[in-house]
Amino acid sequence: MSEIISQSGLRQLVADRIAAGTIVSGPTQVKPKLVLYAVLGSPDDLLLEGFVRPDNSIKECVFPKQEELYGYRIQGNNIELTDGLTNDDLTNDDAPVPKQLVVAARPCDAAALPILDHIFNWDFKDEFYNRRRAATTVVTLACDSHGENCFCTSVGLHPAAERGSDAMLFELGDGSYEVRCITDKGRALFDGKTEESDKVGRADAGPEKKFDPETVRAFVDQHFEDPFWSQHALTCVGCGVCAFTCPTCHCFDIVDAGPSAGNARYRTWDSCQFPMFTAHASGHNPRAGQPSRQRQRILHKFSIYPNKFGEILCTGCGNCTRNCPEGIGVLTVATEIDHG
Amino acid sequence: MDNANANANVYKPDLMEVVSVRQQTPDVKSLSLRFIDPERARSFSFQVGQFGIFSAFGYGESTFNICSSSNWKDRIEFCFRKVGRVTEALWKTEEHDVVGFRGPYGNGYPMDVWKGHDLVFLGGGIAMPPIRCAVWYALENRADYGEITIVYGARSVADLVYVDELDEWAKHERVRVVRCVDPGGETPDWKGEIGFVPHVFERAQVQSKDPVVLVIGPPIMIKNTLPILDKMGVTPASVYTSIENRMKCGIGKCGRCNVGPIYICKDGPVLTMEQLQQLPADY
Repeated sequence: MSEIISQSGLRQLVADRIAAGTIVSGPTQVKPKLVLYAVLGSPDDLLLEGFVRPDNSIKECVFPKQEELYGYRIQGNNIELTDGLTNDDLTNDDAPVPKQLVVAARPCDAAALPILDHIFNWDFKDEFYNRRRAATTVVTLACDSHGENCFCTSVGLHPAAERGSDAMLFELGDGSYEVRCITDKGRALFDGKTEESDKVGRADAGPEKKFDPETVRAFVDQHFEDPFWSQHALTCVGCGVCAFTCPTCHCFDIVDAGPSAGNARYRTWDSCQFPMFTAHASGHNPRAGQPSRQRQRILHKFSIYPNKFGEILCTGCGNCTRNCPEGIGVLTVATEIDHG
Repeated sequence: MDNANANANVYKPDLMEVVSVRQQTPDVKSLSLRFIDPERARSFSFQVGQFGIFSAFGYGESTFNICSSSNWKDRIEFCFRKVGRVTEALWKTEEHDVVGFRGPYGNGYPMDVWKGHDLVFLGGGIAMPPIRCAVWYALENRADYGEITIVYGARSVADLVYVDELDEWAKHERVRVVRCVDPGGETPDWKGEIGFVPHVFERAQVQSKDPVVLVIGPPIMIKNTLPILDKMGVTPASVYTSIENRMKCGIGKCGRCNVGPIYICKDGPVLTMEQLQQLPADY
């Protein structure tokens, strides 16, 4: 037996959650040819078919683009730290964290969350991330198609992978979905909302395997200085869109919004593709050119992170290649390494 | 680590009052700070070689070595060159102003491992502060260490920092201080050596059996020092340095300070040359 929910039932569930004050995010058509995960104002904004995947990722729900870490008041030479200026910030340890629901995430987005858990919790615990993560329920829609830039199967995932999801939806082809609850959060969300059925949903078979991550790891470990990186970086414009649209890229900066912005310290997304990322105060820069920055991104994903945390820092979503103005990304670099 | 309250905001700094300001050179100052929270002042401890993230409110945070000795319980000190937004703001701070501090972070010098050894400190320019804390610590625990040699140089006489302390150290027994400036950087009354730190160190003919060496300075200085140490028979495992990659979080998350698999903010900043030789040149 299986549990199913109709598409209208799913939209009603979303409407109920929005009405209850939950921040609900999901794929939505922002403009022609652009689908993004965004906060849904209405269940009708939820886009469920006709696209491969959104051009951004769900990491924004647990790791916002910019986030206030704390505020401060300056009075003469006295400083007072404050909990923050905005109402939705988490700088006050006791402030309630708004509940979040991500609906129709892709498996390659959901899988990024348990991977990110490592970095935000080894040794020092990052409560900004952890509190948002605990307040978030992820409902994943198994893929019914894949695009030319998709490569989840090369990094150990697939279109029906459950990792990081609280519940999975599978299309039944008749306007309804099979629901498979994975965690208590998922079960609580769908409790009483589904019907029993004998229908079983299916997912896309996924892209063929395009490269072996172990081959990529061996190459980057042994080719720190190599003309390969220069060739790949020739057309890179250093815009950082690869990192910003990546579900697992998590590098950040800490900056002050000064007096004109109300005095607060923020963390903001950053990218290893920017020259300032590693520039020393002396003017020296260990990664002075784009080739070394391209190398760093592959090295981090296939060697550094796996060495430290046992997992590749990539879920095969293909966003870096898909969004790059020059078509460079993990897929193109890793494929070229593997096909050497 | 100093993360007792698991739910704490790990990015929130301690507030510290500026106790004194010293201008070291035309563009280098050092600040002496005390914790405003008396409980924090009482419980705080660190190891020489560790670093802090210091902040000027309204401008931002920057990473500096804590250049005071860990035996000084009433204050911590750091030293900076005026080069950017944050250090321009720190430059303007005066006594009784308040700055932010997060830390201590990183591993520090293994002062216990160094016990029983002669110590050789080689520093260039603004690299003196991270050496200074170890020198003071060794002098305050004098019986634990052998002969101490300090070779310190800068571009010019005006660029030397902690000059008065160099004189003070030289008064101690079994301490030799060699000062130098780059050719052309001397003044008419300059009494120290003229030359680059590695050459001056070689000329100094330091006789030492199995010393521990701490060398901090520009990459070229470190590079030219290593062959000399090799000739002296000092193994890379006995040569230490402090890697000063750009950092933001200081706690192993923001992703920029790594040298290969090593997060400098967590596994460094203090590494041996033996460790460094295993790593890619990402510093």
